Amino acid sequence: MRKTVSVLILALVLANLLVGCKPALTPTATPVSAAPMLIPGPTSAPRTLTLPGDDWGYPSPFTRYPRGPGYIQMSFLFDTLAWKDERGMIPWLADSWEVSEDGTRWTFYLQEGVRWHDGEPLTAEDVTFTFGYLKEHLAPGFEALSEQIERVEAQDEHTIVLYLKEPIAGFLSDVAGSVPIIPRHIWEGVEDPKRFTGKEAVIGTGPFKLVEYSKEECRYIYEANGEFFKGKPVIDRLVFTKVQDEALALKTRTVDAAFFWGKEIEAVRELEAEPNLEVIEGPSFWVLQLIFNYERPPFDKVEVRRAIAHAVDRSRIVEQVTHDGAIVANLGIISPGTDWYNPQLSPCDYDPSGAEEILDEVGVRGLSLTLLTTGEFVREAELIKADLGQVGIEVEVKSADWGTIDGLLREGDFDLAISGHGGIADPGMLDTPTWPAMVYEDEELDRLFEEQGKTLDEERRRALVWRLQEIIAEKLPVLTLYHPKIWCVYDPAKLDTWFYTKGGIATGIPTEQNKLVFLKR
Amino acid sequence: MIDMRVAQYLLTMFIVLSLNFFLPRMMPGDPLSYLTGDPTADMPVAISEEVREKLLAYYGLDEPLARQYTDYLINLAHGNLGWSIYYKAPVSSVLLGRLRWTLLLMGTATLGYVALGILLGALSAWRRGTRTDIGLLVSVFSLGSWPPFFLAMLLIILFSVKLGAFPIGGAKSPTGSNAAGLKLAAEVAYHLFLPSLALVLTHLSGVYFLMRNSMLGVLGEDYIRTARAKGLRKRDILLRHALPNALLPIVTMIAMHLGFLIMGTMFVEVVFAYPGTGTLIYQACTTRDYPLLQGTFLLIMAFVMMFNLAADLLYSRLDPRVRRA
Repeated sequence: MRKTVSVLILALVLANLLVGCKPALTPTATPVSAAPMLIPGPTSAPRTLTLPGDDWGYPSPFTRYPRGPGYIQMSFLFDTLAWKDERGMIPWLADSWEVSEDGTRWTFYLQEGVRWHDGEPLTAEDVTFTFGYLKEHLAPGFEALSEQIERVEAQDEHTIVLYLKEPIAGFLSDVAGSVPIIPRHIWEGVEDPKRFTGKEAVIGTGPFKLVEYSKEECRYIYEANGEFFKGKPVIDRLVFTKVQDEALALKTRTVDAAFFWGKEIEAVRELEAEPNLEVIEGPSFWVLQLIFNYERPPFDKVEVRRAIAHAVDRSRIVEQVTHDGAIVANLGIISPGTDWYNPQLSPCDYDPSGAEEILDEVGVRGLSLTLLTTGEFVREAELIKADLGQVGIEVEVKSADWGTIDGLLREGDFDLAISGHGGIADPGMLDTPTWPAMVYEDEELDRLFEEQGKTLDEERRRALVWRLQEIIAEKLPVLTLYHPKIWCVYDPAKLDTWFYTKGGIATGIPTEQNKLVFLKR
Repeated sequence: MIDMRVAQYLLTMFIVLSLNFFLPRMMPGDPLSYLTGDPTADMPVAISEEVREKLLAYYGLDEPLARQYTDYLINLAHGNLGWSIYYKAPVSSVLLGRLRWTLLLMGTATLGYVALGILLGALSAWRRGTRTDIGLLVSVFSLGSWPPFFLAMLLIILFSVKLGAFPIGGAKSPTGSNAAGLKLAAEVAYHLFLPSLALVLTHLSGVYFLMRNSMLGVLGEDYIRTARAKGLRKRDILLRHALPNALLPIVTMIAMHLGFLIMGTMFVEVVFAYPGTGTLIYQACTTRDYPLLQGTFLLIMAFVMMFNLAADLLYSRLDPRVRRA
């Protein structure tokens, strides 16, 4: 018996040692003194800013995870030729640029005196190398580069010329403002960048240097780059740490700012009432949609899709499910927070009797359908079910995880589905091959997409994008439901320079975590 | 006899390993579906069919299934668990990085609830029918009926938000620390306290009730009466004669209970944002990260089989009758 107990204890001790900790044989422990208090303000004490985070991958351009937050982490370390602030594009690594008449030749003049974190100078060679390397090796977000860029030449040490295969309307923001420039002297010899995770892999020119990354604890720690070409950041130590409940974490000041969207509006209202916190609301670049399977009856008929659009009370969903944490989307998908939004689209009114008339006209009655959704949007689905019940369509809501739904969508094995996506700030991104609205085949739609993608003149491009939205609203490949609002709640004593980037960071990430926030401007 | 058991374990292992491979692939969807994301910072991923094929080829997912299966078995035989598609790192390092935290949490909690359960159970039985017994019965029973994540949230609100005595989550100081040695241990223990308390309180009831019942049985045995008649002290009777004999069923129970504990730990890890394997399994499932799924399932299998084996062996040591049977 005694032996058994000692074996058990030994096992536990070993488990304890595994995490580099003394044997803690009792679950109780003496609390250590609280985390060091940091005094913000004019003193020269180092300023730490802690933000809620998660694991978004080792922040190299190749090992970060492929979504927005992964890009943001990388953007603290790596710079792009151009960048964006609250008003639009601004010079960054390139202090000026020009474009040829036909839009296929871009010349960038590099800022002088920029150095990599390891002290090497940034040259035009690094830029040409970057584009060559990214064309050869797939990096998340830049898979299409090899189809877009013909060649890149360094004219002298600070001048680069990019030759495009075709003009790209969104070139400045989607390529020059998004592609991270990587140091040639490090990546030259790297065969498989997806498995290159040394310290060298995160050497960039950016305002911060990576001090610590913990995959399992989901923590990033950066320190200010004193040599940064736009000046040393005002934040000396930037920390991202995982918390379960951002509101609670902000309340206890475990973090100094927190980010919310849509249904989390209750938390925002509660925090807003606190005396030492402030809130800003950002533009919504995300849309929730009801997806029709327009490849098989009954939704192969545009009339039936239109009837559904009239039968669903979208403002009730926004009111009752999101508690006004969202805005009703118009049918053209593009976000109202952008320059591309078409405000003249005719609204789609809630009109159940009109819907029934349409259904009678096309002779589609007694429908019984399934509606797929992830657990997150079950309440929206229930309201849609109730609305469609009113016009005599029987709906069964089936909830599954995202992977399952994605699989069924791909195979075309569904009637209706609820899903959402971001990226609706930029009509260029809207042309994403996997999005249901974009797979929809329509000659004019396809032509317009192609044309707007090549049109550099902003006014002409806007006309095309407006027409595009009209067609989507007319043909209804999907029914847009709502755009969730987003908020940043922050402690102004820690940092009060938060803002939302116009058109979103890089290809349209609608976040307040623009590296400019941490700089003196 | 022994051979039979070894063969049984091997066969189970092979079946589970094969299931680990085929089950994830039978789920609809694949590791490259990235369509939806968090609206606060979403950057859509636009991959064309061409790129998709290139990526599938990179991860070896374009090979015929039979080929993938044999590759998987061969790699496994070499101790190679593969490369996680989502985490972009070797599966073994992703798993081990998290496992040590789960082990620490589960170990501490197990030690806590077993010790406390035995103690309180014995006390209850010894004081059967008194106010102590009834008080313990009621409180342990009501605590045990709460789901772990709910209790965890209550503990956070009480101890972290209201009293500010403990951190709201994480395994170490959120801003990262350069602490080492004893200081690091203290920091880890400080963060470990609430999550393990949540697990101890919710898992206490099983051991407590079993101990109480088993102790009541033992206390009625003849040899206890003999011990009393010999004039032994109460403490000696309880600790030397009654307790060891009453412990027997507890061992089986702990091993059997492990599955529940793993589940409870997963929930508690999520509530406390504790860096364990709980969220990992969830993440692996939602992203259809086949290699990682295989790895986590393998890990769970190893655990369950190990504890079964341990229970088998321990039991026969503790109870000579089983060994001889």
